[in-house]
Amino acid sequence: MFKISQDFAPPFKLIAPFFILGSFFYLFSSLSLFSFSVDDFSFADPKVIAFTHLFLLGFVMMIIFGAMAQLVPVVLEVGHFGVELFYAIWPLLLIGTLLMVFGFLYSSALLPYGGVVVLTSMMIFVGEIFLTIAKVKKLTLVMSSVLISNTFLFFGIIFGLLMALSYAGTISVDISSLLKAHIFSVLGGYISITIMGLSIVLIPMFTLSHSFSLRPLEISISLMSVTVVLAILASLFHLEWLSIICYILAIVAMVIYAYLIYIIYKIRPRKENDIYAISLMFSYSSLLVSIVVALLYFVVQKENYLLASMWLLFFGFFGFLITGHIYKIIPFLVWFERFSPLVGKQKIPMLVDMIPQKSSQAQFIFCALGVSLVTIAILFKSNILIGAGASFLVMGALAFIRSVLYMINFKN
Amino acid sequence: MAMFTKEEIFKAISTVVDPEVGFNLVEMGLIYDASSDDEGNVKVTMTLSTRACPLHQMILQWVKEAIEKLPNVKEIDVEVVWEPAWNISMADDNVKKALGA
Repeated sequence: MFKISQDFAPPFKLIAPFFILGSFFYLFSSLSLFSFSVDDFSFADPKVIAFTHLFLLGFVMMIIFGAMAQLVPVVLEVGHFGVELFYAIWPLLLIGTLLMVFGFLYSSALLPYGGVVVLTSMMIFVGEIFLTIAKVKKLTLVMSSVLISNTFLFFGIIFGLLMALSYAGTISVDISSLLKAHIFSVLGGYISITIMGLSIVLIPMFTLSHSFSLRPLEISISLMSVTVVLAILASLFHLEWLSIICYILAIVAMVIYAYLIYIIYKIRPRKENDIYAISLMFSYSSLLVSIVVALLYFVVQKENYLLASMWLLFFGFFGFLITGHIYKIIPFLVWFERFSPLVGKQKIPMLVDMIPQKSSQAQFIFCALGVSLVTIAILFKSNILIGAGASFLVMGALAFIRSVLYMINFKN
Repeated sequence: MAMFTKEEIFKAISTVVDPEVGFNLVEMGLIYDASSDDEGNVKVTMTLSTRACPLHQMILQWVKEAIEKLPNVKEIDVEVVWEPAWNISMADDNVKKALGA
């Protein structure tokens, strides 16, 4: 008999909390939109900062970390160094996120505590990933992207912690000199490069696309990496001209990456437009619109254009990319644990049978409407449209939670 | 004299279905070759649709278990190769049609 390696599929009970909590944070982020008013909408508004951390830490990071527990061995082709460490990551990330969000909203004294707890959670994650990478004999491009992105995450959270400590008055550092370094390290360095690397493994796997060049990926990852390093320097030394160059380079890197995704999409043999495919179409369309709106910002120099661009990047690009992949990752993990031992012994479901059609479609439609309406609301400064968009997003988030729980509890 | 023909081995493996796409490994074109000797030892050469397949080892086990159902089979050797790399042109027409390729 062949020995079945469990390295490639950690126990689902280890990963499930990440996905359940992440889906609830998606709902909380949607609900928080009701508190926004276009009149005081700016990057300096504590409500905007709290929302950003609620969404990025609670939803994006929580789900990426959970997904990485399963995807890292698949991508690196070695087992985890210590997958049990993930049991400690989600409680710390949960507590740290809540402390930070409440800190930004109500009491800055909570920020250092939240920052330290988040830092601890992420250090465990980064340390585990580094020690797993150390087992790899020869790094491929995708493996290198995991190493690069986690290195940027390491620096990004250090910058973030320094800002949190300063925000609370514990230490005195120039927050403005760390802000862009923090944003570029986390958004460009960690989230974007992680997405670039992993999507080139996952999207061809699910679409069965083959025979495309990885050269655009090599260029986009290299360019984004150089950009993040330059942006950190620009931030620390207050070089505004260099910051502007970095914005442009980051956009170029994302456009090259989007071009590769377009190639993969174009040559895909699997043409069905299931919930995964349409989620990804909306996600990458949002990325492109986000880039266009960001370019418009440079022309008109109005902050609401930059806010709209960021909104599309967060809820449109990151949001739909993650929710789309959830409909692939959770069914696989549940199927692997619950049904794979029954192969050849009794009739078992296919992965597609485990996806709730109605709630997944409802989630897509409500969230797509919500994201679109809020974008228009930010651009045209309409409080009514923000409320309308938030209403759709809350409905979509509830449908998403229903889908996640349905897939996790699926029984034949 | 071979105990099993290539067709008999392929037929046995055709009971193994990829849970992601819903087609069996033979109609997906993932089984490149199969042979046996007169003692019942079987050798299968196959590939997977992606190197990063998380079901890699499990699929190999399913293939082996499917072949074990043949009468009097002895040793089973399943070799995974990456050259030539799989592509959709290797799949049966019904698969291509169902996928929209």
